[in-house]
Amino acid sequence: MKFGIFYELSVPRPWTRESERIVYDNALAQVKLADELGFDQVWAVEHHFLEEYSHCPAPELFLTACAMTTKRIRVGHGIIVCVPEFNHPIKIAERTAVLDILSGGRLEVGTGRSATWTELAGFNADPDITKKSWDEFVRCLPKMWTSEKFSFEGEFWSMPSRTILPKVYQQPHPPMWVAVTSPGTELDAADRGLGSLRLTFGQFAEQGTRIAEYRRRFPLCTPVGEFVNDQVSTVNFLYCHEDDAVGLKRGRQMANTFNYLASQLTSVREVYPAKSYPSLGLLPQLRRQATGPEASEQAGEGLALGGPERVLRALKRWEAVGVDRVNFLLNTAESIPQDQVLESLRLFAREVMPAFAETKTPVAGGSR
Amino acid sequence: MPLFGQLEVKPIAGRLARLKDLDAEAWTLPRAEILQLSLEVGDDAIALLPRAMHPAVPPYATLLVTAYPESPVGPFNLAQLRLMGRAGAHPRGYVLAAVASTPAAAGALCERWGFPASLGAVTLRRYHDQIFATVRRDGETILDLSLVDPEPISPADVQYIHSVTLVRLADGERVTSQLVQVDPHYTVHKAERGRPRVARLAPEAWNAPTLELLHPISASLSTCDTDLPRIRFVMDADLPVVQGTRKVR
Repeated sequence: MKFGIFYELSVPRPWTRESERIVYDNALAQVKLADELGFDQVWAVEHHFLEEYSHCPAPELFLTACAMTTKRIRVGHGIIVCVPEFNHPIKIAERTAVLDILSGGRLEVGTGRSATWTELAGFNADPDITKKSWDEFVRCLPKMWTSEKFSFEGEFWSMPSRTILPKVYQQPHPPMWVAVTSPGTELDAADRGLGSLRLTFGQFAEQGTRIAEYRRRFPLCTPVGEFVNDQVSTVNFLYCHEDDAVGLKRGRQMANTFNYLASQLTSVREVYPAKSYPSLGLLPQLRRQATGPEASEQAGEGLALGGPERVLRALKRWEAVGVDRVNFLLNTAESIPQDQVLESLRLFAREVMPAFAETKTPVAGGSR
Repeated sequence: MPLFGQLEVKPIAGRLARLKDLDAEAWTLPRAEILQLSLEVGDDAIALLPRAMHPAVPPYATLLVTAYPESPVGPFNLAQLRLMGRAGAHPRGYVLAAVASTPAAAGALCERWGFPASLGAVTLRRYHDQIFATVRRDGETILDLSLVDPEPISPADVQYIHSVTLVRLADGERVTSQLVQVDPHYTVHKAERGRPRVARLAPEAWNAPTLELLHPISASLSTCDTDLPRIRFVMDADLPVVQGTRKVR
């Protein structure tokens, strides 16, 4: 199993001139240390207008900064919102290619479609068609990266024949993923030969079932790219401390802050009846975890919080469930001081990481 | 922490419903027709939201017009304006005002669940191209809205957010301001969706003088079996709900 870190870049109120800068600076320092410690990936989301929860609308810029200050860690651009009002597909192909070049072939590309009314309406996007536009985008991207000339006529966008430049550095192209929150999206991932980038925390049983279904379906896929990515990645919180009780207490505080902020978002499902958003995604789970009567117990299942032994046990269970990669959220709204975040990373790398032997080779090479 | 509502309760305490107790029996309400419009509203709406709650991002309101063909007080129609927000981590609609079509319904909704309900003429009319609702009170049309171009959708696609009402509640010798959670069950049999259109909303008539309707979001009509259940939770109107919530049963 491999480990990465994952950024929403949450910025607590009250906002000052410096508050966003501090969050970005702290994150960059964490990424630099994670690279030195042997973490495998850093992911950054694309979110817009999500007050406090995520101030990360331009992840490709943040990830470029990450790539420039690191040597080995792979940079995960994800998820890119594959809705035309947010991102034109040509721009996605161009931006990702530049990032792949600048990072020396360390790019991973996550795709998705947004699940909040806050964002979709902000861009005047139609929630009814996001699944369809996502499909069109992910089929085109690999061809835009690899074909000398590319032309396309689709339902959501079209272009005459042009040479899209530059080309990606990795050969044949970067690994592709899709964000999985709504039930059934893991099947979309499997059918297209895409990695499953799960964005839910905890719940071994439910995730295990969905991972098994993904694995069962995957061999029948029609890949959208020139190779398949059959990996399952999940997110988790990480706060590791020598004293298990301290680790649990501070870690749960961070997790609850994250869940609370996430629950403030206006999901599409909440305001707009549509078959394209059949569930609230991860929000109900987060709401229960944030404020339910059994909040502390639920927050404990599978979360990498506490002393090294407890964290190790949780991650071994994830490995047994079939997870290939775990990406950690290290902080939320700066609720944990930066020095403690860095110390948690060091402790994890020293005490926990060695227990996980590498079981898979990277899905794409880092150079041509 | 997210923003909190800024409602000053004291100036409006006189018009709040007074609940004698929290022991009202549940009502079963079969075959209800619910027309719901959601619309984004201006940031000034935060002044209307109780301090216990967080505003939604973006702020939005729902207009609900419901026809209840059967209830313990006979058939009635009910219109509500709700400002949507969060009670802790949970989406909730704060009922700014309600208008019921019969005196018995208005009285019971006020006394039992704390709805800020007054009496008026509430109509819900269905046509093939539009579904209309109007509310008239004291000779004035205070609400005129419609769902345009209805199209069938799956009943499973419709979701209703629970409500909270702001009430005065006796607590021993003291009378306090509390939010009462009203959390009906819904079994939706049929649903349609269309474009929302609000031809008229008189904000003052809905206890919402600073409410500005902005971007329309959605409109739906459902036929469902629902209820008004026994009260389960009350919350201090001025404390964050994680501190001020009391489970009644």
